[in-house]
Amino acid sequence: MQEKNTGSRYTPDQHEKLFITSLKTTIPVFLGYIPLGMAFGLLLDQAGYPWVYALIMSIFIYAGAGQFVAVALLAAGAGLAEFAVATLLLNLRHSFYGLSLLTKFSDVGKVKPYLIFALTDETYALLTTTEVPKGGSKARFYFYITALDHLYWITGSVLGAVLGSMLTVNLEGLDFVLAALFVVLTIEQYFHSKTRLPFQVALGTGTLSLVLFSPDNMLLLSIILGTLALIGHEKISGAKPDLKNPVFKKTGLSARPAENLKFETEKAIEQEIEKEQKQNPEEEKNQKQNKEKRS
Amino acid sequence: MIGTVHLLIIIAVVALATFATRVFPFICFKSRAPPEILSVIEKNLPPMILLLLVIYCLKDVRWLAAPYGLPELFSIGVVAGLHVWKRNAMLSIFVGTGLYMALVQLDVFSFL
Repeated sequence: MQEKNTGSRYTPDQHEKLFITSLKTTIPVFLGYIPLGMAFGLLLDQAGYPWVYALIMSIFIYAGAGQFVAVALLAAGAGLAEFAVATLLLNLRHSFYGLSLLTKFSDVGKVKPYLIFALTDETYALLTTTEVPKGGSKARFYFYITALDHLYWITGSVLGAVLGSMLTVNLEGLDFVLAALFVVLTIEQYFHSKTRLPFQVALGTGTLSLVLFSPDNMLLLSIILGTLALIGHEKISGAKPDLKNPVFKKTGLSARPAENLKFETEKAIEQEIEKEQKQNPEEEKNQKQNKEKRS
Repeated sequence: MIGTVHLLIIIAVVALATFATRVFPFICFKSRAPPEILSVIEKNLPPMILLLLVIYCLKDVRWLAAPYGLPELFSIGVVAGLHVWKRNAMLSIFVGTGLYMALVQLDVFSFL
């Protein structure tokens, strides 16, 4: 439904603009995914598998670290259960990404399954930080960004598998482009965020995980620790009255200010709609009378 | 080497497992409303995860051997400084990455 509506509201010209904006937005991911994808393709090629498997894996699996681990498991002759468990554990962090996109993805229409399927670290970072250009369709913008990233990854891995061993260009250090992208997006989040809490939590749990856990496990474990810290903080501070906000002092609503606010506005909107509905029959009558007079 | 069919089954399993982790929250809260606490922390998750991804990029740095992670920390510092100053994403990312590539390829910190 949503998509049908958006389809008619936007012109081809706007779609083109949106696509160009998406191209620009995804340039850093392009620069990161091509060499990273090539590294994967090269690895698979050296393991003795033809390039077509790099293509199939990058289309249907589409998980950077997951695909590298899959090649390692292939070489080790692992069983199916090992593949399943290793992949589930490695990519479990993506479940946390989805948790924070439930609202954002609720109105994107028919592209939603694809957006969920292709939700990598980098795409998540772009979708949560980049604002949809004014006058553009959110569903389309998200789709362009996600599909472009996917395409870069596929291209990179096939290139790596086909001609990886022939390349002699020194690309050492180019993978830093993804770290740089994350730094820039974090700073953007910092400027747009009202609270410093998520950054303090990330610094704490991230540094702790870097020291305590192995490189393979640290991201998932730090995300779990951080989420627990956020929930814990909310449980403790959420129960206290919000003294900083005078509105809630007056009305005595203190426990969950954000929700009460939402409730109030929803009420107001409902009242407005009711008013309009009451007025409408009268207007229609007037219009009919006017028409009759004219004829 | 594994046969074609076996390999395709393995790829299917890995693809399904990956998709499962991504679709899990959406299936979980398709018919019922997410718990209140989730809507409260929903806004705080992306900034936290992004900073954790930055830290994750440092996971393979060996802090106790030369060059002690200096190329990474220095380049991240330059990216951050440049971005706070100019707020131009492309500029910050390209200058930072170019700098990092030069630092590691020319082994600038070899004197340490």
